[in-house]
Amino acid sequence: MSLDVYYFTEMPYHYIDDELAEQWPSLRLTFPNSYFDPNKATDLFKRYLDEFQYAEEAGFQGLMINEHHNTPSCMDVEVNITGGILARMTSKAKILMLGNMLPTSDNPPRLAEEIAMLDVISGGRIVSGFVRGIGVESWASNSNPIHNRERFEECHDLIIKTWTTPGPFRWEGKHYQYRAVNPWMVPVQKPHPPAWVPGTGSPETVEWAVKHRYTYAAFLTELTRAKELFGSYRDQAAKAGWEAGPDKFAFMICAHVNETDEKAQESGKAFMWRMGHPLKGPKEYWAPPGYFSQAGVAANAARRQKPMNQMSYEELQEHNHLVVGSPETVIKKLRHIKEELGIGSLLLETQGGPLSHEDTMRSIKLMGEEVIPALQD
Amino acid sequence: MVAFTEEIVDVGGTKVHTLKGGSGEPLLLLHGAGGNNGWLKSIDALAEKYTVYYPSHPGYAKSERPDWLETIPDMAAFYTWYLETLGLEGIRAVGFSMGGWIASEIAATCNHAFSKLMLVGSVGIKPNVGEIADLFIISPAQVLDLMFHDPSQAPEYQAVYGREFTPEEMMVAEGNREMAVRLCWKPYMHDARLTSLLARVNIPTRMVWGKNDQIVPVECGELFNKAIKGSDLVVFDNCGHSPQVEKPDEFIKTALDFLA
Repeated sequence: MSLDVYYFTEMPYHYIDDELAEQWPSLRLTFPNSYFDPNKATDLFKRYLDEFQYAEEAGFQGLMINEHHNTPSCMDVEVNITGGILARMTSKAKILMLGNMLPTSDNPPRLAEEIAMLDVISGGRIVSGFVRGIGVESWASNSNPIHNRERFEECHDLIIKTWTTPGPFRWEGKHYQYRAVNPWMVPVQKPHPPAWVPGTGSPETVEWAVKHRYTYAAFLTELTRAKELFGSYRDQAAKAGWEAGPDKFAFMICAHVNETDEKAQESGKAFMWRMGHPLKGPKEYWAPPGYFSQAGVAANAARRQKPMNQMSYEELQEHNHLVVGSPETVIKKLRHIKEELGIGSLLLETQGGPLSHEDTMRSIKLMGEEVIPALQD
Repeated sequence: MVAFTEEIVDVGGTKVHTLKGGSGEPLLLLHGAGGNNGWLKSIDALAEKYTVYYPSHPGYAKSERPDWLETIPDMAAFYTWYLETLGLEGIRAVGFSMGGWIASEIAATCNHAFSKLMLVGSVGIKPNVGEIADLFIISPAQVLDLMFHDPSQAPEYQAVYGREFTPEEMMVAEGNREMAVRLCWKPYMHDARLTSLLARVNIPTRMVWGKNDQIVPVECGELFNKAIKGSDLVVFDNCGHSPQVEKPDEFIKTALDFLA
């Protein structure tokens, strides 16, 4: 069974060393932006975009982008900007935006036309991820966490209607109201670009994904937990009278390949930056009051045995949050994941933290030449 | 101690949990963002002279929230309905912190609801110099640290805040916090139109503030005092955000003097 493998990086501004990071409660939200050097960022963007381009050439079937705010861990602040760049820089890879933060958006028709424009420019290569935004984004956008889920759903409903219903039409919702929804730009893909939703375990998200038959992407989740979530999806789909195939399931993991296990274990340590400081922060940053339902709180606790930033390099590998090794080793591990989970897409965070351009390019090359082909049978 | 009962007031189908006790003319107490702390010493002293109604706001603790209730003005509209349901009009009212904001909104938009109004460390007006502390982005323990100037002078501190909480109480506290977020997230703890509307208030009004309030600066008390004709402002030295808990004797005296 084939497997779509996506290349992903958060495009980190990784020039924040341990000493500096430890002086602040978090690298999120309130970490002073006076530490940002735009000139360094110019070079980084050039490098990261080159790596995306190379990932397509090397054989990745898709390129994944995301966005965060107020943090050096992710310089991408707008997936639709990066999506636009990739749409023009590449020619065949799917562009997975995972995704646009719906609850923090005040203008869903604008989002709908932006994504449609990307679909048009890319010739129908957009995969449109819809996300709630992690808790800290409610602070950054000052969007009331109590309304996060209902805004997510209403924003989504309006976008889908915008894509699928000839305009103009009116919308008088609870959170959004429009006199004339009628964007000139509509997507190439019909009825609309594939929609994905990431999950960290909230049962409401699984239920919502099943209802819309969207692909559910488990992010950095223990295999056993991901299995439960996917199982729940399959069961709910079966109850609704349809069978959820591998195309409905994606799994995201950090991955690094080098020529030998020994070399990979050494260069892969760069991922420890990504697994460390950017995940630190007061509880309220991650879970503003009202962001999680009671069920969501329990699910989030079950997501992994201990916080990733308290895991050692070895533990991160044991728990399948990070796969590191020679092509042979990585193929073995990813095959196991593919078979265990029955997924149709694998999202590999291949560049992370201060992983150098050279190490990133080599990893991309080896994945393209050896790992990705070996995962197709 | 004055006996009190727990009553359910049905307001247009919404059940509001209310502590009621004492005798004499009615007095409405409106609690702050954290919730109803129960029948404390200061409440009890007020019930010696008045029939105290001390509801948990809709959406707090055991009180239901009607779907439409999302803002402080909604809360004010709801409470005028609550008073109507109980047949109360032109009564005395005391609002603590966020409850002061609700009470001000009621007084400013419904001039027959209250006869006298006391606002204790009330939010609702944005300070010009300082800021109202952001209680949502810090932990409940940090909120508690900010609340008192010197917890050791608050006789009920241990009983109310210092003990172990049951899982049920923790759930209620979390639910209360979520309701406060629903009501006060943005603009945070204030409403730009309130100062102008307060010019309508024509009943005796007293502001009571702790001089060392680290949550709502005394400046806010001064702004309320300026906005409401004929009001006064009483400031307690060495006192934080909750004078009724931190300095109950002084609070009771000030309140009874004013309400008489």
